[in-house]
Amino acid sequence: MDISFLVVQILTGLAYGMLLFMISVGLSVIFGLMGIVNLAHGVFFVVGAYLALSVLDMGANFLVALGVAMLAMALLGVMIERFLLFRSYGNELNQVLLTFGLAFVLADVIKMIWGARLQSLPTPAVLDFSVTLAGITFPTYRLAVVLVGCIVAVVLWYLETRTRTGAIIRAGVDDREMVSALGINITLVFAGVFAFGAALAGMGGVLGGPILGMYPDMGFDILVLSLIVVVLGGLGTWKGAFVGGILVGMVQIFGQAYFPSLSLVIVFLLMAVVLLIRPSGLFGRSHAT
Amino acid sequence: MSLLAVNGVSKAFGSLQVLRDVSLEVQPGQRHVIIGPNGAGKTTVFKCITGLLPADSGSIAIDGTDVTGMPAHSRVSLGLACTFQKTNLFSELTVEENLHLAVTARKPYRFRIWKPLSWYEDLQRDTRELLQEWDLWSRRRHRVDELSYGEQRILEIVLALASKPRILLLDEPTSGMSPAETARTTSLIQEMPRSVALLVIEHDMDVVFSIADYITVLHHGEVFLSGPPEEVRGDERVREIYFGGGARPHA
Amino acid sequence: MIGRLSGRRVPWPGVAVLTLLVLLLPLVLPPFGVGIATEVFIMAIFAMSLGLILGYAGLVSLGHAAFFGAGAYTVALLGQYVFNTYLLLLSATAVAALLAAISGALFFRSTGAYFLMLTLAFSQVLFAVAFQAEPITGGDDGMSVVAVPDLGFGEIVGELGLYYMMGFAFLGCYLLLRLFVASPAGKVVKGIMENELRMRALGYNTFSYKLFVYTLAGAMAGFAGALYAYFNFYVTPDLLGWVLSGQALIMVIIGGVGTLLGPALGAAFFIVVQNYASFYTEYWALVLGLIFIIFVLLGRGGLMHLLRAVWNRTLPSRFREREDEMEPEEPAAEHQKERTP
Repeated sequence: MDISFLVVQILTGLAYGMLLFMISVGLSVIFGLMGIVNLAHGVFFVVGAYLALSVLDMGANFLVALGVAMLAMALLGVMIERFLLFRSYGNELNQVLLTFGLAFVLADVIKMIWGARLQSLPTPAVLDFSVTLAGITFPTYRLAVVLVGCIVAVVLWYLETRTRTGAIIRAGVDDREMVSALGINITLVFAGVFAFGAALAGMGGVLGGPILGMYPDMGFDILVLSLIVVVLGGLGTWKGAFVGGILVGMVQIFGQAYFPSLSLVIVFLLMAVVLLIRPSGLFGRSHAT
Repeated sequence: MSLLAVNGVSKAFGSLQVLRDVSLEVQPGQRHVIIGPNGAGKTTVFKCITGLLPADSGSIAIDGTDVTGMPAHSRVSLGLACTFQKTNLFSELTVEENLHLAVTARKPYRFRIWKPLSWYEDLQRDTRELLQEWDLWSRRRHRVDELSYGEQRILEIVLALASKPRILLLDEPTSGMSPAETARTTSLIQEMPRSVALLVIEHDMDVVFSIADYITVLHHGEVFLSGPPEEVRGDERVREIYFGGGARPHA
Repeated sequence: MIGRLSGRRVPWPGVAVLTLLVLLLPLVLPPFGVGIATEVFIMAIFAMSLGLILGYAGLVSLGHAAFFGAGAYTVALLGQYVFNTYLLLLSATAVAALLAAISGALFFRSTGAYFLMLTLAFSQVLFAVAFQAEPITGGDDGMSVVAVPDLGFGEIVGELGLYYMMGFAFLGCYLLLRLFVASPAGKVVKGIMENELRMRALGYNTFSYKLFVYTLAGAMAGFAGALYAYFNFYVTPDLLGWVLSGQALIMVIIGGVGTLLGPALGAAFFIVVQNYASFYTEYWALVLGLIFIIFVLLGRGGLMHLLRAVWNRTLPSRFREREDEMEPEEPAAEHQKERTP
């Protein structure tokens, strides 16, 4: 077998895994802390990518587009949390209805503004080349995505273990009632987490734009994969999203390469097997009573 | 043969050893009370006996039948019933509906899927008898969350009795009650027929000594002492556990 | 809340009204309305089956289409060799029941979001199988259904014939569920939803009850899927996909969780709005989405809860008793109050 092909597959799988990690981590922490399964989270990813597309069209460079998209997603996240979601706290079924409705609305808004066809972001010029090392060709952009993903992981690790906010969130995931007992401004923490999660999802969408492209209904497809990542890794932990993302990314890419007709089945089987062995996912805490 | 035999049961949560080699026996008709300071593992013993928690080691037998690996619902059919320390009812249902669920558990028609439950005469009769006996008949149409705390605690006991148990586990039946409610509950417990053996966790020493004919003292997850009330009452070390060292019994 | 148990009434008036509705509706519907109503009946059965496990057993599934699609594909595949409609409907129901029993037994160890994801995964695996097994199922393109419904009095080909077939199937399913939720087993299932720990302590084998109700719901969804195959003459992998599961979930929530007829009402609402909106605009999803959001913001529970509130206000009290069979008073508001952190 061609070693070069294999390396590129691994790299692609890793890059894909990092994108899944970026979208899943928000989903996971939002669920762990606020108890919300945000079915609109997949659309955040897609909206981010489309926003970047518009910014790029205005002649800005990739980094600016990334920044603008993330900022806009954070803002959108806060607005959704503050004006809509907070009304459904404590009622899971209303949350399902609300976030499902949001996903429908946002997907159609995308269709209105950017059209229904498949589009993609151009690879940033600085990174649009390949490095050849020992006869193996590495596409630089994918390397960069993997690097960014690792940086995000380090930042999250730092936030979780070294900051007060991180400690509060960790405590909140373990025991939601405790946070309110501590007299912490929950409103602020919830809004912040939601904004941060949305921004990271948008970041994933922008970085994924040159690799995956985007279409209006993509949010639904990516949501299913990221839900798998979250459940596989365990709810409420960035570690779970990180490891789960890489696992699903790898399985998905290798599945497509070697068993194209089974790739979907394999991902779901992977999740089912993990959950049957560990009902709370790889890093999830079991809430046994 | 004793009705309930707990033999060397141990239980740990992670690194925390909650029960260490606990053994106790309950004879038919006996009123056996478990006392001990907070965190002694009393409720954990109950959960291991009822099967709601699996014991790590040791064995449990009901009337000579080993039930150690048996699921909770099978233990009920052997004559075991329990109440919970924190009120644990169907709070959005009425008192009568709570009773229906409890009584149906021992009926052969509990799996039937056609005839409406409310059409079964014997269910209505059993429910009425129990509610009248425990003075809750007039409250039957009220939702449980409309009842007073004392009434809810009583309903806890009635639900457990609905399965016609031979041995009933009561976890702090008077906790949180007013003095008047406590006195009433105590006398209700005293009047219960001797066909039912009782294993009771209780903190209130007045209640303990007015119902117990055997006492087991748990301390740090181990059986510290067991014997008839006179013996326990006179034991210096028990006083030490309770009144020395700052670990006071709470009301 | 488990109904007023002292009464010995069966909801015959309700059933009679529904029967009349099914019988007479075609007289007042516009021509294209009959087809829509037929689809509504089928989706109503599907939504009611999901409403049973959601509202009466507290199991939130995002993979209920697995059973619907399995039923539909059974009719499509088996219908190539077998033509007896009763046999095909029975097989479809049995296949779905079997799938539900097996998956339920495996998945009940997980709860909450994990259970939801396992059900999703299960339906997606079936979706992928139908999608990939192209030689047998036609893959993405789907396959046509060659079996023609014939209940013993000639082939049912006309629109009105299909309408009444589905209409009576719907009535049958409704009656079955109505009986079940009032039966001992139905009450026990509801008790398990309220407080599983207590039910175990009372001596119930909660697992077997949950498995039974899940299997019943799966079977009914499979039955609905089989009817859909007859109605649509065509099946595609989408019938197994999570979007259909999500839509069914929405129908249940919009119609009213914890009621029997609510999900059916939700199905009618969903399908009628979808049909009308897509007739006027390509952005029908936007319209639906906005409606969902408004629904939550109004915070008044499902359509059934609204109807009941109106009913209770307008009718004299002696007529009300019967409706009490139909469960809770303003449960949405109750839940919100209780669970708000």
